[in-house]
Amino acid sequence: MLGVRALFGIGLLVTSRGGSVLTHTGACARVASNIYSKDLAHRQACTMANTIKYLGQEEAQHIDEELFNEYSFSVDQLMELAGLSCATAVSKGYPLQSLLKSPPRVLVICGPGNNGGDGLVCARHLKLFGYEPSVLYPKRPNKQLFQNLTTQCEKMDISFLTEMPEADVVDEVYNLVVDAIFGFSFKGAVREPFGDILSQLKKTTVPIASVDIPSGWDVEKGCPDGIQPDMLISLTAPKKAANHFKGRYHFLGGRFVPPALEKKYQLNLPQYPGTDCVYQLN
Amino acid sequence: MNHSSNEKEPETIEPLRYLSKTEVATVETELLRDYRFGQQQLIEIWGHACAIAITKAFPLSSLSKKQPTLLVVCGPEQNGSIGLVCARHLRMFEYEPTIFYPKRSPQSLHQDFTVQCEKMDIPFLSYLPTEVQLLNDAYNLVIDAILGPETDLKEVKEPYAGMLVTLKQVKIPIVSVDVPSGWDVDEPAKDGINPEVLISLTAPKKCATGFSGKHFLAGRFLPYDIQKKYELNLPEFPGTECVIEL
Repeated sequence: MLGVRALFGIGLLVTSRGGSVLTHTGACARVASNIYSKDLAHRQACTMANTIKYLGQEEAQHIDEELFNEYSFSVDQLMELAGLSCATAVSKGYPLQSLLKSPPRVLVICGPGNNGGDGLVCARHLKLFGYEPSVLYPKRPNKQLFQNLTTQCEKMDISFLTEMPEADVVDEVYNLVVDAIFGFSFKGAVREPFGDILSQLKKTTVPIASVDIPSGWDVEKGCPDGIQPDMLISLTAPKKAANHFKGRYHFLGGRFVPPALEKKYQLNLPQYPGTDCVYQLN
Repeated sequence: MNHSSNEKEPETIEPLRYLSKTEVATVETELLRDYRFGQQQLIEIWGHACAIAITKAFPLSSLSKKQPTLLVVCGPEQNGSIGLVCARHLRMFEYEPTIFYPKRSPQSLHQDFTVQCEKMDIPFLSYLPTEVQLLNDAYNLVIDAILGPETDLKEVKEPYAGMLVTLKQVKIPIVSVDVPSGWDVDEPAKDGINPEVLISLTAPKKCATGFSGKHFLAGRFLPYDIQKKYELNLPEFPGTECVIEL
């Protein structure tokens, strides 16, 4: 197998970034398989020896920054994949035919940040999967991305509520609640109207599916008297709060982590089945 | 699904619509302008769905070479960017893509897709060998993401004309993204490249009528309003799938 030095030696160009790599197809295939087989072997070794890593808040923030800065992903792209994972996890945990109430109504509560954006994308895909989502989006960021995602939902005939229904109304009307209020950046006190929303959610009996972090929980320590979701969809990698999760379904979603990033943070991500964008952790 | 019916029976399945070049452009304009989809968002959706379709057409276990190598040939416009996203997802799905992307779009939006691939350690070729045997030996298949429905065929210059000549001679299967490169969107080409698999994005194009190879529809995101407005009569995707074989 030709090493990198040999390729330089015989006049083939190998650059690390921003340019073309190889000129000879045959050599290319050999070097490619060299790159690829090392990664696969490493990952197989990792998942055999170690379990998946649970991230602290700072680590989660660093990984996020790297994805956007170093890896040049756009928020649009990753939010689309994250929202799709959430909708897919919901379909697996609560298949249409298993729902008790008809029509298959789902309440999606979106917070003021990226977690809310994930919720908007999730709602749109749930609609395409045959569910009837309604969105509560009380505090909307003044950014184009969120306005666009809102329009996309509205144009799919997804209704937007003007206020949070009382717990007994939620129980009567909806089959489940998707909690996309706060994510891994959450710190400090809960501002209204989310305090009131969370207290209603603590009283509802329908299952709650939380996106990334059960809202209101400390991202690392959890929250014994916070909401108790039935499903948690961890995005990218689970956060430490997930150690306190006691619900039935814990899914991993957000299948976009580049192998180099996974290695750097030793995430030990499991191997997703086939082309699935979710992996059931429990 | 593709049969047409003359009687107005309630049980009849309406035929799937094949779009013309103008209709494709109109639908996309509406998606961006009225429905406020983002271009990067759409390209991500298409590239992801494309990759899934490829895994259905050529599962890892079905590939004959020792390594699951494939060559993704990317053109300068949107079709090429879809190819880049597709390559990235194929990498996540454990395939070993190599990219050939001779003329890179200057738009930063498309440059981001390139960086994302480079950072996944996906190799980029600096030229496409004209010795077809090299391609046949190195790769299991070629993903043709060169020219799409947005291309003005009269404007196609080198290196694309030469690349298409090479692709016409490869013995390994070609998978075309959206339209076989070089084909007129509205008519099947008589002497163009001959892909084994066609992955139509959003809705099939007129040139795909009577396509004899494997034909997939990929991309599950179209609002019902648009589907109704253009009478697309898209088939029902099973479960949460975003790809369906036509």
